[in-house]
Amino acid sequence: MKIENKIKLFLVDDDAVFLKSLEIDFLNQADFDIETYSTGEFCMANLSHNPDVIILDYHLDGIDKNAMNGMDTLDKIKAFNPDIPVVMLSSQDKIEVAINCMHHRAFDYVVKSETALVRLKKIITTIFRYKKMEKELNWYMERM
Amino acid sequence: MEEQIISKASVDLTQDLPVAIYCCDKNGYITQYNKAAADLWGRHPMVGKDLWCGSWKLFNLEGEPILLDECPMALACKEGRVVDGVEIIIERPDGSRSHVKPYPSPLFDSHGNISGAVNMVEDITKQKRDESAKKLLSNYSLSLIEASLDPLVTINTEGKITDMNHATVDITGISRSHLTGTDFFDYFTEPQKAREVYLEVFAKNSVVDSPLTVRHKNGKLTDVLFNGSVYKDERGNILGVVIVARDVTAQKLTSEYARSLIEATLDPLVTIDIEGQITDVNEAMVKATDKKRDKLIGSSFIEYFIEKNQAQIVYKEVFEKGFVMNYPLTIIDGVLTDVLLNGSVYKNAQGKVVGAVVVARDITALKRIEKELIEAKVFAELATGIAEETKNKAENAAQIAEDAVKAKQQFLSNMSHEIRTPMNAIIGFTKVVLKTDLSSKQKEYLTAIKMSGDALIVLINDILDLAKVDAGKMTFEQVPFKLSLSISAMLHLFETKIQEKNLELVKEYDNQIPEVLVGDPVRLHQIILNLLSNAVKFTNKGKINIGVRLFNEDEKQVTIEFSVTDTGIGIAKNKVEKIFENFQQASSVTSRLYGGTGLGLAIVKQLVEQQGGTISVTSKIDEGSSFRFTLSFLKTESKAELESEIVELDREIKNIKVLVVEDIALNQLLMKTLLDDFGFERDIAANGKMAIEKLEAKSYDIILMDLQMPEMNGFEATEYIRKKMNSKIPIIALTADVTSVDLAKCKALGMNDYISKPVDERLLYSKIVGLVKKGTHRSGQQEQTTSNIKKLKFIDLAYLTHHTKAKPDLMMEMISLYLEQTPPLISIMKQSFENKDWNSLESALHKMIPSFSIMGISTDFENMAKKVHEYARMQQHADDIHDLVLQLENVCSQACIELKAEFDILKNTRK
Repeated sequence: MKIENKIKLFLVDDDAVFLKSLEIDFLNQADFDIETYSTGEFCMANLSHNPDVIILDYHLDGIDKNAMNGMDTLDKIKAFNPDIPVVMLSSQDKIEVAINCMHHRAFDYVVKSETALVRLKKIITTIFRYKKMEKELNWYMERM
Repeated sequence: MEEQIISKASVDLTQDLPVAIYCCDKNGYITQYNKAAADLWGRHPMVGKDLWCGSWKLFNLEGEPILLDECPMALACKEGRVVDGVEIIIERPDGSRSHVKPYPSPLFDSHGNISGAVNMVEDITKQKRDESAKKLLSNYSLSLIEASLDPLVTINTEGKITDMNHATVDITGISRSHLTGTDFFDYFTEPQKAREVYLEVFAKNSVVDSPLTVRHKNGKLTDVLFNGSVYKDERGNILGVVIVARDVTAQKLTSEYARSLIEATLDPLVTIDIEGQITDVNEAMVKATDKKRDKLIGSSFIEYFIEKNQAQIVYKEVFEKGFVMNYPLTIIDGVLTDVLLNGSVYKNAQGKVVGAVVVARDITALKRIEKELIEAKVFAELATGIAEETKNKAENAAQIAEDAVKAKQQFLSNMSHEIRTPMNAIIGFTKVVLKTDLSSKQKEYLTAIKMSGDALIVLINDILDLAKVDAGKMTFEQVPFKLSLSISAMLHLFETKIQEKNLELVKEYDNQIPEVLVGDPVRLHQIILNLLSNAVKFTNKGKINIGVRLFNEDEKQVTIEFSVTDTGIGIAKNKVEKIFENFQQASSVTSRLYGGTGLGLAIVKQLVEQQGGTISVTSKIDEGSSFRFTLSFLKTESKAELESEIVELDREIKNIKVLVVEDIALNQLLMKTLLDDFGFERDIAANGKMAIEKLEAKSYDIILMDLQMPEMNGFEATEYIRKKMNSKIPIIALTADVTSVDLAKCKALGMNDYISKPVDERLLYSKIVGLVKKGTHRSGQQEQTTSNIKKLKFIDLAYLTHHTKAKPDLMMEMISLYLEQTPPLISIMKQSFENKDWNSLESALHKMIPSFSIMGISTDFENMAKKVHEYARMQQHADDIHDLVLQLENVCSQACIELKAEFDILKNTRK
């Protein structure tokens, strides 16, 4: 895996404790390049850092009612660059929320629980496998 | 007269002739002249008076003067003969000169005597000038011809050389005179071909660029291209041939160089004509097709490719478009060569397409490299896959190892439980029997049984403690206690032993130490107990000194240094580092001599360091050892709790009704015996269900509740009693294994205290009495419960420790984040609940929920929070939501206090 540069990960959540915990989890798993943001606004302001994957909390306007919520952030990210995979993270386990996220072009939807990290890891692996396949396909297409 | 007339007539005739004619008498005087003669003279002479040539000076062609009587006219007059026109030069008086040819003839009279002469003078000056110009021109062209580097030869119809230039002499090495008249063909390597060329010239009047090779007389060969044309006389008769031989050696060299370049290239090169026939190939093509060059030339181009149709297309395309680019085909030979065809047409001088050059780039190597690249890539991917798999395996192995550690702990916990229960009975009954009347022998034997049992319990406790430390489950209480009393009580335990060994015990206690401190007295006991028992064990003579000194004090806390110094056998210097490791004694000899498990000091070190203290040892063999450790305690204003001190048996309190809930018959019997001994009333219930039945039937002062029971366990029973029966009866948990999880659960469910098995009868008594007394003397039972809960921890840093790999920095960061985030959330929760602002309440709880598991707060509370969250979301007001909010507030506030303490400990340890 070290062939590539470090994977750059954006973690966005307004729950500072959970955010830190998630960061530590990821750092324990592999050598990620992680940037954490407590609001969607900060995340947007730093999109120029070219994240490989963004993990975005659904409920960003929990405390500050004026904050941009997760869905708006998702839309803005996709408008900025539709190729950045965004994984939605939420304690909501309602299926409508998940489907709605997918309609807004989220790569996947994960419910906050003990298994969330394992799922996120798998999703990131999937994203990179998918990207690699796409790259290879292009590589072969170009030589056809 | 007639003659004169004739003469006159002839003179008239001659007058207009362009030739100067004049006559003179025999003396040389002019008699007649015509106009041309006057022009020649440059004046009109006087007839009969001027000499015919009196006005001229005469010169021969060599420029020598001619005497007048030797001039042709004079000769004609004198000798009476016709002088043939000899060219002479005349110079007129004005100095101008003319070349003339006089044709004088003598005139005879009728007697035949010379009477004079007539002269016709032809002015040849112009002619002469033309001639000399012509000659110059001829010389010029000759020199041009001579200067030419190309050999030039003229040959006659017989093929003999008639003339040549200098280049010819150079090229043949034969002199001009020797060449002239020799056979032209002899100077070529192929005379026959030369002859054919020569004949061709005569046949076609010319020949262009016919290649031949000239041989030098010393053997040097020169390649030439022959160009020739016939030359004819005025009447068109062919006189001979002029041949120009162009030396093409240099040209040929260039062409050969180009050819060798073409041959050397690795790409097969083919030229084809318009019909698709191969006209030329290079070596690479020969190799690629594995056919002979002469076989290739003249054969069809498309025959050599597998895809004949495609080759046909290439052939057509190149002539249609004039070029073709990168057309992939495969050349047939033994091994099939993949090529890319590039071609373009070539034209002759007239611009007509005469054929095409096709370059076939051999891309076999390219394809091979591409294939190798792909293979390498696949291989690299495979390797990455393997690496990933290995990583997963390693992770699995780590998981297995972790599981193994957990299994070990579980095993130890279970074993200790299984051993403790029977030990409990053995020790308990031994104690009971010892109180009866016995013979001295019986007493001695029973005492031995009790001592062995006690030793075994200590060992089990040690093992269990270490396991807990390893698992990070060791918890420390924060309760107020009196340090001086604690130390005295402990020393009391050793008094008999010290007296037996005839040692001296010295206590140095610093009176500046505050009376009441907050900390974990039980663990402090354990530490000092271990050190003291070691000191007593390894000292046979002299004294044991215990020092308690105030080391540092600030507003919030005090740091105390404890020291235990003996005059025992000491520890070797190289062993000092090792004695704190598990199962280590200073030497195997000591373990044989003095016994022990070697766990004591390991536990001590763990206990001290886990509380943020340090321990050190100095020792000298045969002189003694000194152990020192420091611990910090918080200061407090409150009084130490009574129950931490051992209440003396008060036989006055008798009327206490106790319900014992215990499933094991032996333990039932033991409890019965103990309680009877205390003089208390007691009932036994075999499980929680039966206990509840009894409670409903009869009233009790206190319940002793075992935790692990069939049907309904202690937790369930307590929950039922507190929630359903709403009883505040004091409940003491009886537990074999004091793990933090169980304790937290006990407190959470509302148990008042716990006591671990095997039960210390005095501790049991004091706890029972303490609780019952408080229950009767104090009005607020609830207060008691909360103050007791305080002693238990809500938080459990096990998850966080594991999660951060026990890195203090990360743990501190997490804790400080929690401390920062939680208080505002609590106030939002309260505020929004009061205002019935369900959305805010939902949000606040939403954010609180994940932190419960991170900080190890019991899932019961987390579920509580989830319940409130759910209510808030449904915007329902349930009756118990108020309680839940209060409880959550309490839990979180407590958690914050505890975390703050942990944070401080971490901070200190890090220093």
